[in-house]
Amino acid sequence: MKEKHVPGKRYGMIIDLDKCTGCGTCTIACAAENNVSVRSDESDKERSITWMELFKITNGKEFPHTEVCYFPRPCMHCEEDGRGHHQPSCVSVCVATATKLDHNTGIVSQVYTRCIGCRYCQAACPYKARYFNWWDAYFPKGKGLERYLSPEVSPRMRGVVEKCTFCHHRLMRAKNLAYAEERRELEEDEYITACAEACPAQAITFGDLNNPKHRVSQLIKSPYAFRLLERLNTKPKVYYLSNKDWVRKLADNYLPGEFEKIMKLSG
Amino acid sequence: MELNRRNFIKFVVGGAAGIQMTPLPWKLTDDIAIWTQNWPWVPVPPVGEFTHVKSICNLCPGGCGIEVRKVDKRAVKIEGRTDYPVNPGGICPLGMGGLQLLYNESIRFTRPMKRVGPRGSGKFMDITWEEALNILAARISTLRKNGSPEALAAVDGNPIRSTMSLLIERLFKAIGSPNYVRIPTIEDTFGMASLLMQGTDGPMACDLENADYILSFGSGLSNTASKADQWVAAKPGTEAALALGLCHVIIKEGLYDTRFVNDHCFGFNDWSSANGKDHIGFKTMVLDSYSPDKAGQITGLAPGDIVSLAKEFAGAKAPVAICGKGKGALNGSLYEFMAVNSLNALVGNINRPGGVLVRDPLPLNPLPEVELDEIALQGLEKPRLDLAGSMKHPFTHSLINNFTKAIIDSSRSLVDTLLVFSANPVHTIPDGGSFRKALKKIPFIVSFSPFQDETAYMADLILPDHTYLEKTEDFIWPAGLQYPLYGLSQPVVEPIYNTKNTGDVILDLAKRIGASIGSAFPWSRFEEVLKERVKGLFDSAGGLVDHDGSTPAWQRQKEGGELNPDYKSFEEMWKKIKSTGLWYRPVHTYKTREVLFKTPTGKFEFFSSKIELAVNALSEKGSLDTALCDMAISGKGDEVFMPHYETTKYDADRSVYPLLMMPYEMINLASGWVPTPPFLNKSLFDTQLRGDESFFEINPGTAADYNLKQGDRAIIKSPEGKVRARANLSEGAMPDIIYMPLGFGHTAYDEFLQGKGVNPNDIVCAGKDPLSGLPVWWNTPVRLIKL
Amino acid sequence: MDSPLLPEGVKRCSTKAFFLWTLPWLGLLAWGGLSAFLCLWKGLNQTNMSNIFAFALWIVFDLAVIALGAGAFFTGFLTYIIGKKELKNVINAAVIIGFICYSGAIAMLGIDIGQPIRGWFIFWHANIHSMLVEVSFCITCYLMVLAIEFVPIILGNRQLSKIRELNIFGHNLHETMAVFAATGTFLSFFHQGSLGGMFGVLYARPFAARDGFFIWPWTFFLFILSAIAAGPCFTILCTKLTEKLSRKKLVPDNAIQLLAKISAFLLSLYMVLKIADTLGWIYGVVPRAGLKFIDFYQEGPYGVWLVVCEIIIFGIAPAIILLVPKARQHDGWLIAACLMTCMGIVLNRFVFIVVTLAIPVMPFDRFWGYLPTWQEWGIAMAVIGYGFLLFSAAYRYLPLFPKERELNPVTE
Repeated sequence: MKEKHVPGKRYGMIIDLDKCTGCGTCTIACAAENNVSVRSDESDKERSITWMELFKITNGKEFPHTEVCYFPRPCMHCEEDGRGHHQPSCVSVCVATATKLDHNTGIVSQVYTRCIGCRYCQAACPYKARYFNWWDAYFPKGKGLERYLSPEVSPRMRGVVEKCTFCHHRLMRAKNLAYAEERRELEEDEYITACAEACPAQAITFGDLNNPKHRVSQLIKSPYAFRLLERLNTKPKVYYLSNKDWVRKLADNYLPGEFEKIMKLSG
Repeated sequence: MELNRRNFIKFVVGGAAGIQMTPLPWKLTDDIAIWTQNWPWVPVPPVGEFTHVKSICNLCPGGCGIEVRKVDKRAVKIEGRTDYPVNPGGICPLGMGGLQLLYNESIRFTRPMKRVGPRGSGKFMDITWEEALNILAARISTLRKNGSPEALAAVDGNPIRSTMSLLIERLFKAIGSPNYVRIPTIEDTFGMASLLMQGTDGPMACDLENADYILSFGSGLSNTASKADQWVAAKPGTEAALALGLCHVIIKEGLYDTRFVNDHCFGFNDWSSANGKDHIGFKTMVLDSYSPDKAGQITGLAPGDIVSLAKEFAGAKAPVAICGKGKGALNGSLYEFMAVNSLNALVGNINRPGGVLVRDPLPLNPLPEVELDEIALQGLEKPRLDLAGSMKHPFTHSLINNFTKAIIDSSRSLVDTLLVFSANPVHTIPDGGSFRKALKKIPFIVSFSPFQDETAYMADLILPDHTYLEKTEDFIWPAGLQYPLYGLSQPVVEPIYNTKNTGDVILDLAKRIGASIGSAFPWSRFEEVLKERVKGLFDSAGGLVDHDGSTPAWQRQKEGGELNPDYKSFEEMWKKIKSTGLWYRPVHTYKTREVLFKTPTGKFEFFSSKIELAVNALSEKGSLDTALCDMAISGKGDEVFMPHYETTKYDADRSVYPLLMMPYEMINLASGWVPTPPFLNKSLFDTQLRGDESFFEINPGTAADYNLKQGDRAIIKSPEGKVRARANLSEGAMPDIIYMPLGFGHTAYDEFLQGKGVNPNDIVCAGKDPLSGLPVWWNTPVRLIKL
Repeated sequence: MDSPLLPEGVKRCSTKAFFLWTLPWLGLLAWGGLSAFLCLWKGLNQTNMSNIFAFALWIVFDLAVIALGAGAFFTGFLTYIIGKKELKNVINAAVIIGFICYSGAIAMLGIDIGQPIRGWFIFWHANIHSMLVEVSFCITCYLMVLAIEFVPIILGNRQLSKIRELNIFGHNLHETMAVFAATGTFLSFFHQGSLGGMFGVLYARPFAARDGFFIWPWTFFLFILSAIAAGPCFTILCTKLTEKLSRKKLVPDNAIQLLAKISAFLLSLYMVLKIADTLGWIYGVVPRAGLKFIDFYQEGPYGVWLVVCEIIIFGIAPAIILLVPKARQHDGWLIAACLMTCMGIVLNRFVFIVVTLAIPVMPFDRFWGYLPTWQEWGIAMAVIGYGFLLFSAAYRYLPLFPKERELNPVTE
């Protein structure tokens, strides 16, 4: 008898850009939660590590009609590589199997101790969500900054790639807690990422996309929900929400006339 | 066996092959795998028992609830509390980075110290607390013995009404010095505007949750403003004219709340005083002087936009106009805040859901009266150096810019000993660097800062406080909150260095000075003072001491639930507050408007009787003109007593300094006395800081006038000085204004902050805000020189 | 001084002159050595590579030298498998060039990865889906094949060949060369292809992404074709350079002409397919991503000129020259055409690596520039220095060109 296929979890996120104030708490919460090293110069955005990176976009209009919107960008935890293969671009290119898509959680992992630092995954990722450790983790002797490091996430060594893991250790934490209480299933808010938890504007909603009861699966049904570079078919599990046309338009590339058609469909 | 070439080769080849049969290559491979993954310089965080400690963040006046995750004794992560009503789970970037302030040894003072090298050289010597306190006590005693207790001065940055600041103020009173100076914040301006129009010197709050239309007057580049329904970009310093222009339209179109205006307001229509003198009312003034055309001319906005905006505002169900500048760490403009509040009054939105809430202070116990000795009495007779509360600035509590100026201008040392609490005025005061100069004329400076900030660097004695994560302190009704709330923090970790809670230090110091000062501080520990004040909350009856984020009290109340406090005795309540960290009444109690306003007329005053009294009192000493001039008011006639627009007066020649520079606060950069945690650097854009250079925001059109392209370097020069920064061309910037972020340009701290960017405060030419006398930091005339 | 080591019956410059000649190359090696030390000791922060330019100068060099080194396997293929006997006169040179290119490339890759000590994880934890794994396996194996092919040439040294065992060993090895040539051909086809595949499978980067056949994107085949077209050209260039420097004729014209003719044919075929591929990309991949062809050439120094150079100036032009017998028989034209072909291939690899990464994918992202540091140049230049040194030494001490003695009878 064929065993009935039970779909696993597909953790995902939706970020309401109309609520986001661009304060950067998500970036910082993420770095603090995940022991991301802080160097004395973080202004070199080509080399600094920000798993949750903030982008600023404007509608390009002149003062006083200028509008600004912020784009927080975690790892998209893509499900496909753009050509219909069921693994994200970064996973299919990784030489040492150091990054994997877990089909039971939808989380794209990164094994730091296996990564050899070839950076092919960075070339493959269109979202720039992957960061290479160009330097050793910066915890100078005598400062004592290593005292705030969390034992749940191992600090990275130089020469490996790291990225957002949807705070995978928090899933472990929540599961352990649930198992200790003899539960097999997690409640909706038991496992959320540090960025979603910290956002003062409550713009980030995290949950299981496979569970229709989770807010995240309801929110992504909005006609104003979209994904970044959706046309590349990477199937990200991070969605965005904005009822501003110009914001949605800037999230992807459109040939003349293409966006207007979509606008009409959703509007 | 003979060792010839053949055998040698055999031996080598055979050996090489043979080794493959041993475990050696596999063992080595395995070792390399492990070895390549454990570098000694990559820290390995020790594991341990996970615990959580609930407390409150004091890095800004917001006072968010925080829950700190700990592993054994180490704090590893700060998170927002969901069981604290101020913040439903989230916290701000600064609060998120707090652990880097706790654990960064190179920016902290780890023990009391005294200066040994030349001042500013950063050379200090370790001393014991005993020695440190004796030095200070002796110094104060000597001042008192010499009959000049007023030569002791304080700069206090603790939140207004906090027990800590109360204690410091009390110490100064007991010693006999009037020169207790606070760092100005937006609360000062709110308090004054509220006092003059509503009669209570208390914080103003808006019920944003229930408002359906938010009109923000926060100027330029504010993140919150970008999410308001309408963000109005008037030229900096002209917001009052805009507010009054909107009033004009609302009055003219008859869109205002006639019932509220007629029944509960004073000075709206023309009126005659008891002595028969005719006065024009707010209505006449606004109709005469603030037509959309005129307001448009002043503010740089299109008159049509003003009209439509006014109609939109007045047409909303629960509109609210909010004033403020940036995060609120700096003061605002008094007449402007009054003008914005007039808008709220016009639509009747005072003391109503979704409107401006008039709050009573928390019912905390007052501390017992201080018994003053002769020296103290004489000292307190002396005028304050900053003239706050004098006839010239009767409504202002502290004027730090005046304080600085008095010290600089005097030929002798007016201040002998300066105590600095929770403040870094050298960096944060918008005074063109004057405070640093003033410090040179102060013989003895004592810093209580836990951090090695710019001001502490200039100190002679360091008595380091704990950081906020190591101590207990209170939070009195955080700014902007709709309902009364008292917060109490608790030590998240044991103090990691030899520091002391400044509250305890003051108690100890008072005892060492002795006499009437010692007896003014009968408590042995700071916590006792906190407890004594909280008793008042218990006596006021009611109030909750815990909060459930999933079913908040206000929701339970709406559903008809009871909101009974779950404590019987004060001791029980105190114990609970210490663990939950809060006491609050979940809803604002709306008083009837009849008893609401504590103004002389008992009404909401468009025409402020208090201003009239003050101006008249000062006029009696000279003429009306000199009185107005002393109060820095340029208005004429009755408008002086009403919210009106005052043209900014510039000392600088505007043909030489044609642009205006406006400092702005960023949410992800600490601009107050607390250093920025390094994490926050990650969230800055490289168009805000690149390497060691910060950027100014400039409109592309203005930039083109100066031939500036994105990233070009330029000198921004004001009459006070010049700074060098790079241009960030930003469409959102108003033409002819240069915006500079606050929080960069530190000369203190470590590599994460030191030398990064420039501090706009260094070039601010702060004029005086009319009536309040607070610094006008938001528009400094500057010129731009491309490099 | 080293005369006993020199091949018999040929003229070589004095030891002193040779020593002086090696100095600049040793200098490059020293520069590279210092750079390598810094990169290994302090990490890749010594380079200007970044999270945007994850691949940069070194990978361009790697791909370029591997493409140019394709002369080795292709000449081997033609010589031993197809049986073009006249190519025996250049096969030694081709093998050494190949060896230099591949060993140089692997050395550079060893420094390029962030955790060189974990390099073997590629084999240990191989991900069969990754084109780079295929590349790594093939070039490692092929380097071994090249080394084996190199051995008989080394054993051809005058002194070494006196040792009987070695002589026999070398001879026997030489006899089995066809097997290795076949293996090399197989491996090379795959890794040249995979190198192209590496970029063609960047499906989420519309600039590089290509449709293809089965699991292989079109770049897979184009890279093979371009490599076997350019490889012989590079072999020709190297021999011509050696001839110019030694002022001797070393390889009979028929060998050179045969290589040139084959190259001309392959280059022409490559150009046809490349144009087809570009058109397919412009009308397939690009609009599917919501972009226009010109969108990729708007920012930074990278304009449409790249396409013009790659296809017309460094593609069609040399193909025509090489196709016309009169032109390719003229030394000047031949060298120019070979040079252009090689430049075209290097440009092609550069475009696929650096331009692909430089062009932002997110619509609101911005263009970033990249300039290598001296450390990066140091490593790259060291490969050139190493190439010159090894080739010069091989020429000096080994019977590199079998016809040298015949073409240059020593007159004393």
